[in-house]
Amino acid sequence: MTDIITFRRATKEFRGNPAFKDVDFSLRKGEIHALLGENGAGKSTLTKVIAGLYSLTSGELLIEGEVRTLASPADALKAGIAMVFQETNLVPSMTVAQNIFLGEERFFNRLRGINILAQQHLQRLNFHVEPTTLVSTLGAAKKQMVEIARAVHHSARVFIFDEPTATLTPEEKHHFFELMKRLKAEGASIIFISHALEEALAVADRISILRDGALIVTDDARTFTRQSIIQAMVGRQLTGELYGQARGARTARSPGSAVLSLRNVSMGKAVRSASLTVFAGQIAGIFGLVGAGRTEMMKIAAGILKRDFFDGGSIRLGGKAVRFRVPRDAVKHGVAYITEDRKLDGIFEAMGIAQNIFMGALMKHTNPASIITMREARECSAEWIEMLKVRSISENARVVELSGGNQQKVVIAKSLIQNPSLIIFDEPTRGVDVGAIGEIHQMIAKLADAGAAVVVISSYLPEILSLSDRILVARQGRIVEELTVDEATEERIMYAAVH
Amino acid sequence: MSQGGISTGSSRFFLAAQRSLRSQEGIVLILAAAAFTVFSFLLPSFLSAGNLIALVRSVSILGILALGMALVVIARGIDVSMIATMVVSVAWAFVLARTGYSFNAALLIGCLFALTAGLGIGLLIAYGEVAPIFATLAAGSVIYGLGRTFFFQLEMQNVPPGNEWFAEIGRASFLGLPITIVAFAILCLLLHGVLTRTRFGWQLYAMGSNPAAARTTGAPMRPMIIAQYMISAVVAYLAGLILASSASAINARLFNSTMIYDILLVVVLGGIGLNGGNGRVRNVILGTVFVGILLNGMTILNIDYTVQNLVKGLVLLLAIIADSVVNPRDEQTSQQGDL
Ligand SMILES: Nc1ncnc2c1ncn2[C@@H]1O[C@H](COP(=O)(O)OP(=O)(O)OP(=O)(O)O)[C@@H](O)[C@H]1O
Ligand SMILES: [Mg+2]
Repeated sequence: MTDIITFRRATKEFRGNPAFKDVDFSLRKGEIHALLGENGAGKSTLTKVIAGLYSLTSGELLIEGEVRTLASPADALKAGIAMVFQETNLVPSMTVAQNIFLGEERFFNRLRGINILAQQHLQRLNFHVEPTTLVSTLGAAKKQMVEIARAVHHSARVFIFDEPTATLTPEEKHHFFELMKRLKAEGASIIFISHALEEALAVADRISILRDGALIVTDDARTFTRQSIIQAMVGRQLTGELYGQARGARTARSPGSAVLSLRNVSMGKAVRSASLTVFAGQIAGIFGLVGAGRTEMMKIAAGILKRDFFDGGSIRLGGKAVRFRVPRDAVKHGVAYITEDRKLDGIFEAMGIAQNIFMGALMKHTNPASIITMREARECSAEWIEMLKVRSISENARVVELSGGNQQKVVIAKSLIQNPSLIIFDEPTRGVDVGAIGEIHQMIAKLADAGAAVVVISSYLPEILSLSDRILVARQGRIVEELTVDEATEERIMYAAVH
Repeated sequence: MSQGGISTGSSRFFLAAQRSLRSQEGIVLILAAAAFTVFSFLLPSFLSAGNLIALVRSVSILGILALGMALVVIARGIDVSMIATMVVSVAWAFVLARTGYSFNAALLIGCLFALTAGLGIGLLIAYGEVAPIFATLAAGSVIYGLGRTFFFQLEMQNVPPGNEWFAEIGRASFLGLPITIVAFAILCLLLHGVLTRTRFGWQLYAMGSNPAAARTTGAPMRPMIIAQYMISAVVAYLAGLILASSASAINARLFNSTMIYDILLVVVLGGIGLNGGNGRVRNVILGTVFVGILLNGMTILNIDYTVQNLVKGLVLLLAIIADSVVNPRDEQTSQQGDL
């Protein structure tokens, strides 16, 4: 088979620090090639070179055997390469349809025409997104679908998907894999980046593994097992604590006092009379399909979404009725919401790691005139950087220069430094590698053991199953089922979520 | 704490911001040096100590106003009502003093007026959720209109007689430096302290860098917005007083001049991005010096006012173009509203 993309001894450095080094990589025509590796291994950077965002420091990029340098994403698109980035890149003030057709507007645009075309396109992909909604009102998963739709709308020869499935629910993941297979059947070549190793094993023809910027191995997917992938990724054997493995004899923590309770809370179409209770010292997992209103329920509780005066229901925190109008009120009451969309409202891109984490501590205090030094910021955040193993190629890196998984760790640390008593994790391990998932899960468990009330929203069933002491299932804006650890099986949860 | 600790501490904090701006700062510095050299050769009088002090003095007012503007811009706002606040509050104070109030009481009332104006604008932006550019544009016209209709009729308001000490301030000097320059320097130090050392300052950067994240993390968004516009209003009032004391009068017609654009020119040329989260006091100083050299040189050269404006515009364009060539934005890091 011939190669469509080839790297020869390729190196990309950022200010002298290599993101990847001496990589020889090839993508064959008509294959699905999974690119795996830990956070910060260099996966995104490598593929961004193919997409024309970065150029190599040394080495060569060959497209169909010809040495090429792509100067911009537009250049790459002309060469038939389309990429879906790890962080969403949509124009929030435009509709879904306008975003899909971005960059190919004609002189006179007919909105109706665009909407119809977008509708047909989305339907073909089996993505349930309304083409006329504004992108800014969509949740992370729907944004991801729009991104995918936009990319495959271009008739490209090479598609690159950087962690496309991180936010998708099983249903949409399924549609997405179907889509990849169809693209492949039509002759396209695909690079697929994911931290869900089962996915890679299931759909990929070949697998490449990067570790610390070096390409460790490329081989047929059939020759790998989950264990051998992990070993190649981290360079040692990881045992025990990884979820999906150590399940079985787990006993649920016993509930403490009720910390948060929602009674018949409604807001617009997203949340309709939702009721739920969260107890101290327990982890409540909330599962649901995209659009089930899980994020919205919790954002209301954390004061991030403001309910209209007319929207009914009551919220009690620690036994007292509350109605937070701004997140600050909630933060002062010990509530922390850790966002599912870190680029949108998680990180301060231009600031460094220490400043980002320290902002959490800073915001909680009240005296605006209190004196602050950088040393204090570094000292306060050092233990968190250490504990969560935030990795960057230089100590002074801005957060925007971190890999996706490491950005996620920064966002988590920024909230935990506030020492909250109710912690809401919205997709806590989105974009985090297997090793780090284990670490984050351990940390979540430790929080609950220490007596905090923890909510975990996740679209990934194994995560819900391995973490939660109680499992709540959301559908159409309300909680429709509550299961204990013993009752919960994947089938029961899925059944409740869909029917 | 040791001096070394302080300077490395604060420099580390903004290392990130510096890094991205270094190139634009460099460009402006080169342009400033070039303008300085050209003017020195062309104009023998340019390099005299007298002119240099006059230069810095004339732009200190601009610099002070730019400090207020910088604070707002860093937090992703903009305040184009500063000139209106400045002329109306000062002119009103002078009118009151002439109609029987003691001068001190009148000055206090002027200050209260400026604070109220800032409060109103802040409320409009924080609670009315009006975009800062529209809120301050409208507020500027309202403030000026109110002033001309109810408070005073004449454009030119002289310092009330019998207050020689006030006029003296504008002429006095401290260690050989005119008071205007000293005031600018003190305000620079003050703002620098606020931005790098206080919680309020850090939160300003957070707000400018990502307002949604700042809000979710628990920043007191509304009080902060109100505080910003109140501070910029008071800074405008101060600038107005200093201006009036050195010119012995305040001219309300400044509201219709290009002064507000000159302030923005200082801020943008200095390297404080209009999309917030970036910039330090030294950017303001750099911008002030550069714009000062440009304005002073062109004035000595007797260049026509319209041509001066053309030159200012071209320089701004040049700086922006040079910046985007040296400092290309990639697709992942660029944001909406990038300059
Ligand atoms: N623009 C940049 N400037 C400086 N360093 C960068 C930049 N982009 C990436 N890096 C660094 O390069 C390394 C590789 O990052 P990359 O984003 O490719 O990792 P990744 O494999 O995609 O990780 P993840 O699974 O977390 O997304 C990281 O250490 C990161 O900090
Ligand atoms: Mg990545």
